Parts: sequence; structure tokens; C-alpha cells
Amino acid sequence: MSGVDAARIETAFSLSFHILFAVFGVGMPWVLLYTEGRWLRTGDPNWYALTRKWARVTAVLFAIGAVSGTVLSFEFGLLWPTFMATYGGAIGLLFTLEAFAFFLEAIFMGLYLYGWKRLSPRAHWLTLWPIAISGTLSTLFIVFANSWMNDPVGIGVTKGKITADPWAIFGSSVGWSEVTHMFVAALMCTGGAVAGVYAWGMLRGRRDRYHRLGLNVGLWTVLGLVPVQMFLGDWSARVVGATQPLKLAAMEGVYDTGSHVPLTILGYYDQNTHKIVGGIPIPDGLSLLMGFKTSTVIQGMDTASVADTPNSAVIHLAFDSMVGCGTLVFAIAGLAVLTWWWRRRKGLTPRIPHTKLWLWAAIATGPASVIAMLGGWEVTEGGRQPWIVYNLMSVTDAATKSGGLGWSVVATIVIYVGLAAALLLILRKLATGAPAELSGKPEIESPTAEEAIA
Amino acid sequence: MTAVNLMLVIIVLSLLAYALLAGADFGGGGWDMLAGIGRDRPSAEDQRKLISASLGPVWEANHVWLIFVIVCTFSGFPSAFGDIATSLELPLALALVGIVLRGAAYVYRAYGEGASLPDRWWSRIFACASVLTPFMLGVSGAALATGKLGPGSSPAAPFQAPFTILAGLLAVVVTAFLAAVYLCFDASLHPDTRHLVAVFRRKAIYAAVASGVVVLVMLPFFYRDAPVVAARFTDRSIPFAAVSALCGFGSLLVLWKERYLLARATAAVAVIGVLGGWAAAQYPDLLVGVYTAQQAAAAPSSLDTMLVAMCIGMLAVVPSFLYLLKVFSAPVIEEH
Repeated sequence: MSGVDAARIETAFSLSFHILFAVFGVGMPWVLLYTEGRWLRTGDPNWYALTRKWARVTAVLFAIGAVSGTVLSFEFGLLWPTFMATYGGAIGLLFTLEAFAFFLEAIFMGLYLYGWKRLSPRAHWLTLWPIAISGTLSTLFIVFANSWMNDPVGIGVTKGKITADPWAIFGSSVGWSEVTHMFVAALMCTGGAVAGVYAWGMLRGRRDRYHRLGLNVGLWTVLGLVPVQMFLGDWSARVVGATQPLKLAAMEGVYDTGSHVPLTILGYYDQNTHKIVGGIPIPDGLSLLMGFKTSTVIQGMDTASVADTPNSAVIHLAFDSMVGCGTLVFAIAGLAVLTWWWRRRKGLTPRIPHTKLWLWAAIATGPASVIAMLGGWEVTEGGRQPWIVYNLMSVTDAATKSGGLGWSVVATIVIYVGLAAALLLILRKLATGAPAELSGKPEIESPTAEEAIA
Repeated sequence: MTAVNLMLVIIVLSLLAYALLAGADFGGGGWDMLAGIGRDRPSAEDQRKLISASLGPVWEANHVWLIFVIVCTFSGFPSAFGDIATSLELPLALALVGIVLRGAAYVYRAYGEGASLPDRWWSRIFACASVLTPFMLGVSGAALATGKLGPGSSPAAPFQAPFTILAGLLAVVVTAFLAAVYLCFDASLHPDTRHLVAVFRRKAIYAAVASGVVVLVMLPFFYRDAPVVAARFTDRSIPFAAVSALCGFGSLLVLWKERYLLARATAAVAVIGVLGGWAAAQYPDLLVGVYTAQQAAAAPSSLDTMLVAMCIGMLAVVPSFLYLLKVFSAPVIEEH
């Protein structure tokens, strides 16, 4: 295996692994702020039980996120030495700021997880604020570093070293569109996972107040945010069209530059014929979306050599997975709002009926959000190829020249897969069974409520 | 002071914080492994519980000091970072394996309730990884001083001098020493753990003696395998070495007198002496024979912005960190 192939596989794998945990590190503190806040105000033991349960889960996810993030910081040098040597100073400010944000997150996470008895309930709840805020800032700084690779703004040279103007970095619309899209994605993944776990529990017959509250918190988080996410995604696509036209072309499998470009849903991009096979074209769709008129010209992949073009077969698939999963969640949200409104007029509770179909829909929001998020990252990263810094440095030039990386790729995959398998077993154990906080006083539902559920 | 030197000072201070705080967490892991051996076997489970409790709330924050060192190095000295990382590919990759497995094994044992592997297995992994990591980081640090690394050097090069292997060993015994000294004080705080004071006191004394022996064996190899840095060590670092030796012996005395809070201070200063002496002798080289700090530094404007960001960041982090240490100055033994 060549150095660059090994570096790409290892980076893709360790980034995807890390992101799966990072999204919960970003999202869970906001959820906990709500659930623990509700407990403080109402004294309802169900809110306390939910908070305790999710705090334990967060402890495990955060630890794996932290160690896998450490791996990434070393990998910059181990796998991409030339990239770091050239641009490390330019984006160093972003990583420095991220290190501080992570520092605060880790400090207050320690206080939060172990401070139940050492801090007053209010002080304990307050420690969640720095965790949530610095987790969000971490996303901001790291995604800004990534967006700078997509759109390297503010570049200058002093004494032979490359610099980047921080004002230009933080003023970049590529940056803000990517950051907001990712932050909302993190919240949606968290909400979807929470909803999914409790919907699963209810399907297995545990239909107490504890499960209902858990389901509601998760479900309204993910469903409430999906319209925002659609809007942010649309913004991101426009910014990509303006700054990285080839990425947009690869997303939609557009080879021929021209006007009246269709939007193709699904299908497979054939590299030889430069056409999408088996998709459903919406005539003039892409032109209309990008410029609000059918005559808008879209730059196609014919404007660059094959070597300078991203792999549209993969990018189109990843893009459709993201949009498809997002649309699914959006449809569920739309139906949920209609149902809620309908049943409210009829005076029925619960507003969203806990039927098998609805519970399965709630479960689906979790995997759909996660697949959409990973698909989105594949579009961002794969769509920038062959560049590591757009139009400035190629991935091949950036990668290590070391030949012996095959073993490191294998070791990374083996260790991470092993840890993920063990984690799944632990999370399953954590998710099942009544929480200790409620075992003293079981929640009994009135039979009529049970019937309303069914 | 120039921006480059200020950046170096920040990196060295962060490294010291990492060694003193996270070092003890790794050392605790080493003692976890040895808990069931020898005359201390009857209290093995109590020892493990105390060790685990001492890590609980702080190990992640302690660990961030390493991330901070890495980030400062690649942001402040980007030209050198790639070559340092690739020439230390093997020890750093193994240190990462240790970091990942240590953290995962710790939380899996603490929260897993045996759902994946039995706790005993995670204990074993936790302990082995806690020894592997400081060893590999010790090897890596010492290898920077040898002058035998550079672009294209063999992945095994960091292991080919006895000096680097001994430095790895020194890191292991020193972290064990720190952990045992810290745990003496922790154990003395609670009636349930007071019987462990004598256990960790004994371990601390053994580890102190072992550290001294390793240093003595290492010195001749230091002069042979890292001549440039060793010569500067003779010129500049004798005061550091003297303070370190004094505090090393002082620690033995203080432990003997059962003054455990004072022992923490003397142990910490002894470690600061070793690392400070090395840092002073390493200056101005990052990778001896390849990069000085000045050559590898980022553009002045980039460095200046980072330093401003660091001042502001530290204003938030340092008080928070001290608050964390204060809240958990006594370990959390009770269920959390």
C-alpha cells in the first residue's frame, strides 16, 4: 500500500470513528441542560433518572471521543507531514482555540460527572453551561479549520512562511455555512439517538412516563431542527456552487457545462459515459435551485482534467444518502406536526400516538441523522479531491512518504472495531433495565393511558 | 523574550503539567497491575479502587495537556512537526495505542458493569496501556536529543540507542513514583483507605530508589548517545540536576517522616528538575541536527496571534482547572 493510500484510509476511518462520538459530546450537554433543568424546577424523579442515565452514557462516549481525538491530532503529523509543515502555522490559531475549548469541556465534564455529591444541585446544573458552550465552540473552530481547507482565504506569506488572516477565516461564508450545518447535525444525531432508544424501549413494552419523556425530548429535538437543517443545507450547497464548482458538479453528476441542468435524484454516475444511470431527473432542477431561473449556467466536470476532478460516483451517492435521509426525517416531522395539530383539536393524548408505526419512525430518525451526517462529510472531503487545500496542495503531495503504514491502518481498524463492539454491548446494558433512581417508586400508568397509547 | 522562545516556554510548562498530572494517572495504572503481587496482595482490590477513584474526575482534563503540547508544536513549529512525527512514527503510534486503550479500558470498567469483557480483563488492559504510554513517550522525547533522527530515518531508529530505552524506563518508574506519592496523601484522607497509606508509602520508596538507579545507569549512555545535548546539559543544566537530586533524596526523607503533602511537593520538584534540565539542554534544537526552534517556527504574525489567543485561553482554563483540582482534592470513592 502506498503512503498516500494508507494515509487516506486511516484518516477516513479515524475521522468517521471520532465524529460518531464527537456529535454526542456536542449534543448531549444541551439535552442534559434541559432534562436536569426540568428536574430542578419540577422535582420529578423521571427527569432525574433520565439525566443520570444520559450522564453515564455521555461519560463513556466523551472518553472515547477524547482519546480518538488525540489520535487525530497526532495523525496530522504522522500521516500529513507536508500539509502540516506548509499550512500548520496558518491554521494553528484555530487548533489552539479548539484546544482551549476542549480543555474547558474536559474540566467541566469532570466536575459534572463526579460532582453530584460535591456540588449543590444548582451549581451542578451550571457546570453544564461551560460544557455545552465549549463543545459548540470546539465544533466551530474545528469545522472552520476544515472549511479553510475547502476555501483557503486570507493567505499571505511572511518570511517564506504561509499565513492566514484570522479575520478572513472567520468572515468566510464557507466557514459559517459548514459550521452551522454541522452543529445542527450534531444536535439532530443526538436527538435521534435519544428518541430511538426510548422508542425501542416502548416497543418492547416499557411504556412508563420515564420512556415517554425520553422519547419526547429526543423526538422534538430532531424533528424541530430538521427544517432549519434543510435551510442550512441549501445555503451550504449555494456556497459550494460559488466556491468549489467541481464539488457541486460531482454531487449532482454534471459533466457538461451549460444551462437547463437537471437535478437527478438517485442513480449511479458512470465515469465512462459521464452520465447518471437510473436516476430520476427533474428537468432544469439544478439550474433553478442555484440561480432561480432555468437558464442558470452550471459548471460541469468537463472544465477540468480527470485527475483534477472528484470521484462523482461516490460523491453523488453520498450526497443522495444525506439528502434522502434528511428528507425522510423531514417527512416524519411534517406528519408529526399534522398529527399533533389534528389530535390536539380532537383533544386526544398523547398528541403523537405511540403506535408501532410511529415508534418505528422515531427509531428511524437516529440512524437517518447519523447516515446523513457521515454522508455529508464524505461529500465535503471526497468532493474536494484531489486537493487537501483546495487548488493549492494535492493530497498526494501532502501525505507521508513512509512505506510501512499498512500495519498502522490494520491496527487502527482492529482496535477501533474491537472498542466499538465492546461499547455497543455496554450501551445496550446501560439502555436496558429500569434506572436505579426510579426502582424505589415505580411509575404506574393508568390503564386508560395505556389504551390511548395502543 | 522573542515570540519563539515564549512559545517554547509555554510548551515546556504544558509538558511539565502533563508529566505531573497525567503522569501520575499513568503511574496509578502501573500500580493497578502490581496490586496483586507480593505482600500487599490482601489489599489489592482496595488499592485498585483508590487508584480508580483518583483518576475519575481529572484524568481527561489532565490528558488535554498532551493535546495542548501537540497543538502548540504543530501550530508554532509546523516545519518541524511533520519530520518529528514521521521519524518518531513507531513510538508515537504505540503511545497512541496506549492512550486509546487506557482511556477506553478505564471507562469501560467504570461504567460497563461487565457487559462487554469481564472487569478483570479491562483492568489488565488499563494497566498494560498505562505502562506502555509513558514508556513510548519517554523513548520519543529522548530520541529527539540523539541527533540520529531525520527525514528518511528508519522507523526503528528511536529504539536503537540504549539511552532512549532507558529514558522510556525512567518515564515508567517516575510516573509510578509520582502516583505512589500522590496516593499516600489520598489514602490518608479517608478512614476507609487509611490502611493503604503504608502500602503506597512502601511503593513510593521503592519507585524513588528505582528512579535513582535508572538515572545513574542512564547517564553514561546519555553522554554517549546524545553528545550534543549532553554537552549542553553539563553547561546549563547542573542546577536543575542538583535540585532534582536534592528533592529526590528529600522525598525519601519526607516519606520516611510520613509528611505526605510535603512529599507531593518534593516529588513534583524532582520531576520538574529532570524535565527542565532536559529542556534547557535541548534548547535551541527541536530535532537535534535537523531543526532549531527558530528555523521551524511559524510566521511571526501567526505566532503573535496564537500567543494572544493563549493568554486569553489560559485566563479561562487555569482558574477552572484549579477549581477542578480543589473540588476533587479528596478522591471520589463513593458512587458517582
